[in-house]
Amino acid sequence: MTAVGAAPRQLSVDWTRCDGHGLCAALLPAAVQLDDWGYPIIDQAAIAGASEPEVKRAISACPALALRMATR
Amino acid sequence: MTAVRDPRTRPAELPLGWLAEPRLLAGVDAARLTDYRAHLVQHGPAPVPGREALLGQLDAVSLTGRGGAAFPLATKIRALRAGAGAEVVVNGCEGEPASAKDTALLTHAPHLVLDGAAIIAAAVGADRVLVAVTDRATAVGLEAAIGTRPDAPRFEVRLVAHRFIAGEARALVAALDGGTPLPPGRRIPPTERGVGGAPTLLSNAETFAQLAVLVRIGAARFGRVGTAAEPGTALLTVSGAVRRPGVVEVPIGSSLDSVATAVGAYPSQAVVIGGFHGAWLPPDPRIELSRAGLAAIGGSLGAGVVIFVGQQSCGLAELGRVAGWLADESAGQCGPCAFGLPALAAEVQAVAAGAPVTGTILRHAGMVRGRGACAHPDGAARFLNSGLAVLAQDVARHQVTGGCGRPDRGHLSTSRDSAMAGRAVSVGMAS
Repeated sequence: MTAVGAAPRQLSVDWTRCDGHGLCAALLPAAVQLDDWGYPIIDQAAIAGASEPEVKRAISACPALALRMATR
Repeated sequence: MTAVRDPRTRPAELPLGWLAEPRLLAGVDAARLTDYRAHLVQHGPAPVPGREALLGQLDAVSLTGRGGAAFPLATKIRALRAGAGAEVVVNGCEGEPASAKDTALLTHAPHLVLDGAAIIAAAVGADRVLVAVTDRATAVGLEAAIGTRPDAPRFEVRLVAHRFIAGEARALVAALDGGTPLPPGRRIPPTERGVGGAPTLLSNAETFAQLAVLVRIGAARFGRVGTAAEPGTALLTVSGAVRRPGVVEVPIGSSLDSVATAVGAYPSQAVVIGGFHGAWLPPDPRIELSRAGLAAIGGSLGAGVVIFVGQQSCGLAELGRVAGWLADESAGQCGPCAFGLPALAAEVQAVAAGAPVTGTILRHAGMVRGRGACAHPDGAARFLNSGLAVLAQDVARHQVTGGCGRPDRGHLSTSRDSAMAGRAVSVGMAS
């Protein structure tokens, strides 16, 4: 749960960088699926509920540096 | 990767017309308004309101950008990052192949656009105005028109490479900075960081011309035409199965029927509104050509493109051909778009050849949405989904007989030159 008034955490993809390596889906299987071409489909509700260290690990594992946290 | 293409050649002449009263197009039939003195005789001098007065007028008429996104201009001005020299950019790139209204405006009434840009530059403290166009003839004509103005030195015309998405605001900023005309992956708006890193007010050419009319006639008179929520006029580019394709200035909220009559539309099976990022709609004559009117039926006015798809053409063949064009226009920098649009194109072309609409095609259309650096995949998905929905009866017919016997007559032209060239000017076509 996020505190009232706090923007929910979101995992955002820079689509110009993402090459579909798929490590994010391997590291966050409950929140990230891959589409028919291997690019991530992110369930933001699941990201909001995931543990922060797990999400940070996925961000730093991305070979293309395409992931970052954003608030919306 | 990007393909830098040659600057386009401009269609020789564009027919211009209007319903009710012309505002942006006032006087284009009587005088050569490319000369600044002739422009002043027609429109009178432009008042230069201060920032707050200007914002008040813009708020009063809810003036929105006319490039397609319809973002409120006053909000954009207020969003400019303070504390740094601002840039003002007139976007005359007109990436939509079926759109010709900005070129028409820059060709026939350039000083309204330039007045509007100068007024904004004064209000936001910008030293210069950049005017971006994609074809050499328009650039040359603009240079000549600017040369007749006392404030000529503040304007710079920039010729940028043409492609569909190059007119996207952040792609244009990249091009003006000497880079490839592609939108960057991080969505930082030009008002925050635009040309040369400066806060940048960038809008479509027509937006500036509307502003130049607004400061002259005031909000009350501006709102005498149009709807209560969307006062004023809009420029439409009308093509397809019509006797007189061209650029028509209409009061916002005009009916599709009034436009069809003005251009001499043939009986149509569908109408495409908003261009190739817009929507196919059943050709209901009562369609209200306003943002609200179109939003209510799942459409959008976009940059004012209206294409009548005639009954003599195979709609599915047209849809499949444009699907392929949309895939080709993907810059290829974002995976879901680079892979998704070609897959969708092949699937839509299969439907045109008699295959059923499968769950895969609908899933793929959903899969590209919101998953790119720009709105190209979203717009393409909307266009293809709406086309399949409007043409549902044809889909069934094609499945039974493998086709409908009609050829693709090219009513949806992906080449602006062939859509518009070779027509004589017929100004004042309608009452």
